[in-house]
Parts: sequence; C-alpha cells; structure tokens
Amino acid sequence: MPELEVHDKLMPLTEAVRKFIPDGIRLRGCGIGLKRPMAFVYEVIRQRRRDLTFLLSGWTEDADLMIGAGCVEKLEGSYLGLEAFGLAYCYRRAMEQGIPRTILIEEYSNFGMTMRFMAASMGLPFMPIRSHLGSDLLRVESFRHPKAVVLDDPFGSGAKVALLPACPADVALLHAQRCDEEGNAQVWGQLGDDLWGTLAGKRILVSVEEVVPTRVVRRDPNRTIVPGFRVDAIVPQPWGSHPYQVQGYYDADAPFRKEYAERSVTLEGWEAWVAEWVYGVEDHEAYVRKLGEDRLATLRAKKLLSGRVNYGY
Amino acid sequence: MATEASLASEPGYKRTELMAICAAREVRDGEIAFIGTGLPMLGGMLAKYTHAPHCIMVFESGVVDARPTRTPLSIGDACLVPGSVMLGGLTEVFGLILQPGYVDVGFIGGAQIDRFGNLNTTVIGDYRRPKVRLPGSGGANDIGSLAKRTIIMMKQDARKFVEKVDYLTTPGWIDGPGGRERVGLPRGGPSVVITDLGVYRFADDTKEMYLESHHPGVSMDDIRMNVSWDLRIAPRVRETKPPTKRELRVLRTKCDPQGLFLG
Repeated sequence: MPELEVHDKLMPLTEAVRKFIPDGIRLRGCGIGLKRPMAFVYEVIRQRRRDLTFLLSGWTEDADLMIGAGCVEKLEGSYLGLEAFGLAYCYRRAMEQGIPRTILIEEYSNFGMTMRFMAASMGLPFMPIRSHLGSDLLRVESFRHPKAVVLDDPFGSGAKVALLPACPADVALLHAQRCDEEGNAQVWGQLGDDLWGTLAGKRILVSVEEVVPTRVVRRDPNRTIVPGFRVDAIVPQPWGSHPYQVQGYYDADAPFRKEYAERSVTLEGWEAWVAEWVYGVEDHEAYVRKLGEDRLATLRAKKLLSGRVNYGY
Repeated sequence: MATEASLASEPGYKRTELMAICAAREVRDGEIAFIGTGLPMLGGMLAKYTHAPHCIMVFESGVVDARPTRTPLSIGDACLVPGSVMLGGLTEVFGLILQPGYVDVGFIGGAQIDRFGNLNTTVIGDYRRPKVRLPGSGGANDIGSLAKRTIIMMKQDARKFVEKVDYLTTPGWIDGPGGRERVGLPRGGPSVVITDLGVYRFADDTKEMYLESHHPGVSMDDIRMNVSWDLRIAPRVRETKPPTKRELRVLRTKCDPQGLFLG
C-alpha cells in the first residue's frame, strides 16, 4: 500500500492543477528572483481558475499573469513589480481601473511575510517583528482586521514589537531542482522564503527539473527543504521555471522577460502575449518546444560543481 | 581614490554614474551592507572594488558576502551564489543579520520622499483608488527600520520631493527628533539622500533634510524647483566632487559593463 501511494504522487502538471487547485483557495507561489513556479502558473491560467488568494513575499510575472488572466481575487504580500524590467502592468490595470476585475491586497514587508509563513509552518497563530513600526504597513488595512497589533514587551525590556498573523496556505507550490519519488525535495542556491513558505501549505505541490533515485537524496540530506511525507504531488517539469533561473540547470532569459515587460504595458499587447505563450500552447512541453533548442542552448547552466563533504562518523 | 585627478570636462559621465559613485563613497571598509538591485548594487560593488575591499554585501534572497562576477539582474540572481560564504533565505538575512543590528548600512529607493526622509514606494494618489500603483515595500521597510543607517537613492523632481508622502512605506525620521524612538524602532534612520541633482543630509537637531552638495552643472534654482517644500541649504553648500577616473573605470568595466542600470 505505501508503495502505491508513493507512485500516486507522480503526475503530469495538468492533473496536479486539476486535482489540487480548485477555485477560491489560498495559493502560495515560490522563488525570489529565481525558481518561480512558472509551469504551474501557466497551467492555472489555462485551466481558468478563479477567486484565488495568492500569497508570497515578492511577486513578479507570476502574479502579474494570474491577475491579468482574472484568476486572482486577493493578494497577501509585499512587492509586485518586474524588478529591473519595470512596473507590473496587469497589477496596475487591476488596482487602478479594475481590469479585468477589482482585486484587494493586504501588504506587509518581505520580512513580515516570511515571519507570517514561519508562524503558519510552526503551527503558531502569529509572530513578532521589529520592522513595520511607524509605517502605513501597520495603519492601512485592506481586508484583514486587525492586520497587525503593536505590543510592548510583556517581559519588561521596553521593546515594542508588531505582531503579524500567521499566513497559512491551502496549497503551496515549490519549484525545486530535484526530488525523489517520495517527494523529498532538494534545493540549492538562495532559499528566498521557500523553506518556511512551502511548509506553511496544508498541501504541497512540487515541480522539479529532475526526479532522482532516493539514494541521491539520502546521500546528501542537508539539501532537502521539504520532506516527502508533506508532499502531495510531484510534477517532473524540466524548464519549469523559465524565464527564471534554476541554479545548476539554466540561467534567466532576460530578453524574454524584457519582451513581456514591453508587451504587457497595454492590455492588447498583454492579451496577444498570453494568447501566444499561455493559451496558445497545450502544455509546458509545448511551451518548451516553442522556445526552441537554439534559445534553450544559450540558457543551459555551465558546470560549477560543489565540493563534497564526508558524512561519515 | 581621492588622490586621482577628477575628470575636468563635464559631462564626461552620466548622472546615474555619479549617483552610483556617491553611494559607493558612503560605504566604509569593513562594513556590512544590505544591497538591493539596480544602482545601489553598483554602489556597493564599486565600494568593494575600490576603497572598501572588506565590505560584506548581503542580499535579502539569502546571500552573505557575495562576489558577483557579472551584474546581477535581481536580488535573487543565481550569479550571486558561487563565491559567497553563506546561503540562507529571507529569514536568515532579515532575521539573523538585519533585525539584531548587524547591518551597518542599507540602500533603499523611493517614488516619494518628505523632508524627514519618509519614503513611499507603494502608491501615488489615494490608496484605494490609486493614480499609480507601485510595487510596494519589498524589503525596504525592513531595511529602513532596522539598518544602523540608510542611503536613499532616487530620481528627483517636485512630485517626488513632497510635503507629505501619499503612503508611508518606509520610515525615515518620521516627524523629527525622537520620532523613531516613539514608534518603537530600535535604531537607524536615513543618513543621506542621493539624487540625480544633488546630495542631501539630515540636520542633527531637527532631522530635517538639507542640501549638502549639488552635482556639477546643477544650479541652486534647479534644486529648489525640484523640491516642493522650503528646502534648507547647508551654510557652506558645495558642488559634488566629480567622479575620479578610477571610479568611472571600475564602475564601467567591472560593475555594469553592459550598462544594464547605468543606461
């Protein structure tokens, strides 16, 4: 029986989204500047999910696309922009003009969101933090009340802290370098908020560049950030984070991101982009084929192997 | 670096280059610097490659003591990883380095700033019916709240240098002396504002911003026209020291050879 369950976790992207991401849930993304769950994002849009509450510290194209496609009702997070490539125009259209629908955002800082995920992952109702004080992040509420509470240290140090509510997710998405067939997921490079954030999900869906034999994981267990027993679905998805980087696999596709930034400035331009790159491709394999081998070849990571350590005792 | 002759002819450099160079000059050797993307990153890298080789750059994505071999496109760029000394995530950098007070200097930007250095990166206009919706805090609120001092970098005009920010994303000196203490912030505050027109600091007694130096080619009228309050001027206001040849060379060849952020 347990073996059957293990094999049940491996599934294609379309099935994972159909099975685990219904309308209206609290959904967490992943990745800070890299390792974003783009294959999941594209598929959520293709399956036309609605009324999602999307959670993360900082978003870029992931949230902008889902907002533009009408999948999002609410956001809880900290930053939504295209980094060096400019402002996020679907987000602007939604917030400024209600296109394609009105959305609400409850804002905290990056550190604040991380502490909220940490609280949820640890089963705590809230977490204290020493930023937010004196700012409108504390004062201006959108849909949470109270959004934050200021507390004098009850132990008498004289310090003030802001208490921020836990941020649980119904489903957390993680794009990892690799996992085994039990879902033990390994990540290297910057962690962003993916450790605490992923574990704040009641269900966890992992897409990976590679599924590896479990002995590969067990020979290097320090790299695992999500134990397999917490994982509900494993989606083998090479290039699953394009146009973002995955350390050891591929580099960022800056021209692709620049083109998105330029074409999404107008609604018509964005609609044409999404028709071409999301609705116009059947699945992520077709998306990768459309990118073409020439483009992929320029992005593949060069080899920069780590040293090895002795786990002996 | 100060021993090298300054470039005599103007303009032999861009304003963005001067901004990055002014930022680099604010970083002292051995300091722990919290670096954001764009011009601040170039400032941090330039400091490290010139007068502050022992400066430790931390990035909020989780990188400690990064030594990037190319210009990082984002704070989470994978090129920050090889050669760094420690990798964690937001929790480690914000929670274990910034919040307990180990960050000497942090860099932040803004769309609006007031005379006390309070910053807005969230919204222009009414919060619920915004004229322009901006990205939001990101890590700026945390850096501005918890670094020992902050360097603010932004483009300047009268719509950005405002009497009152539309949304207070990141606290500066709040409402003047004692403002940060009253709201419970443990330390810090802005020490300098670097714009494309000049360099500003904050008076010890009032915590109000004043002009310390105007960039070469920028008149006092240019400065005043691009501030919407009655700006104070340092009694011995001077011209910003132009870039040295070495500063420009290192910035152009080692920090941003492709001109991604310098333009």
